[in-house]
Amino acid sequence: MSAVCAALAADPVLASHYADFSAKAEGALDPALVALVRAAVAAVHGMGAAPNESGLDAGTRTCLAYARRMPFEHTAITDAEAAAVVAHLGEPGFVAFSVVTALADAECRAELVGLPELAGA
Amino acid sequence: MSTIPRVSSAIAGEPPHFGSVLAHQPAIAESFFALYGRFWQSEVLSARIKEVARMRNARVTECGFCRNVRFDKAVAQGLGEEVVDDITDGYETSAKLTDAEKAALKFTDALIHDPELLTGDARAALQRHLTPAQIAELGLGVTLFLALAKALITMGLEPEVMDRTVLPTPAVLEAAE
Repeated sequence: MSAVCAALAADPVLASHYADFSAKAEGALDPALVALVRAAVAAVHGMGAAPNESGLDAGTRTCLAYARRMPFEHTAITDAEAAAVVAHLGEPGFVAFSVVTALADAECRAELVGLPELAGA
Repeated sequence: MSTIPRVSSAIAGEPPHFGSVLAHQPAIAESFFALYGRFWQSEVLSARIKEVARMRNARVTECGFCRNVRFDKAVAQGLGEEVVDDITDGYETSAKLTDAEKAALKFTDALIHDPELLTGDARAALQRHLTPAQIAELGLGVTLFLALAKALITMGLEPEVMDRTVLPTPAVLEAAE
């Protein structure tokens, strides 16, 4: 369970809406890619090991390199980097990927700040 | 930071913007707008404090779109431009922001920038001014503000120029309930 969902335990309606949004975003992508992205972003935050990229195809490695930029370098991502992800995932996939990656970063930050404890969860 | 859209509009006749680009993924869009409407209509935490946090996120993430949008509910609760102008570095000394708003801003900075900012007195102040339920709602809000600002920026949807725009506060969609 994410830190945000845990924090919203006292408001099941809002928690359910958030869980649905997160699930819809992640459900639009290959589950393996979602897991890799979440692990890559968490590793940037020092919250786990970076995923093993040996054996991954070039497109997936491109996506992970992009995902690692989201936590601290989102304004420095170039048009060429974005175009490479679009070429791999297509436009609808890029939209879902952008949401999933940014949400993964924000959820890590919510956990690091201790949101569930502050919310009494 | 690019102001050239990196993804096309999925709605015929409309330029690329957050809604028209998100329309590439209708299920995500529907779920997001249901969540966002529910969040903004909840009265657990005032719209004014939510908007204070949203404005801070907009400035730190450099989201020009977010920075120029105002939601009318917060404006009606007294969040005028003279107050918004104080949501910048040094807000701790503002005479226009309340102590609860300053505590919410410190939490916002900690989540989007550095968790070490919310230790000791800052953590105690947050818990003194906001209930656990209000902190939960603030945490959800800042999570969404941050993620959506970054998604918007990285999809190249930043406007080159934009006037300040007051919009209706997101509402719960009847079909989503």
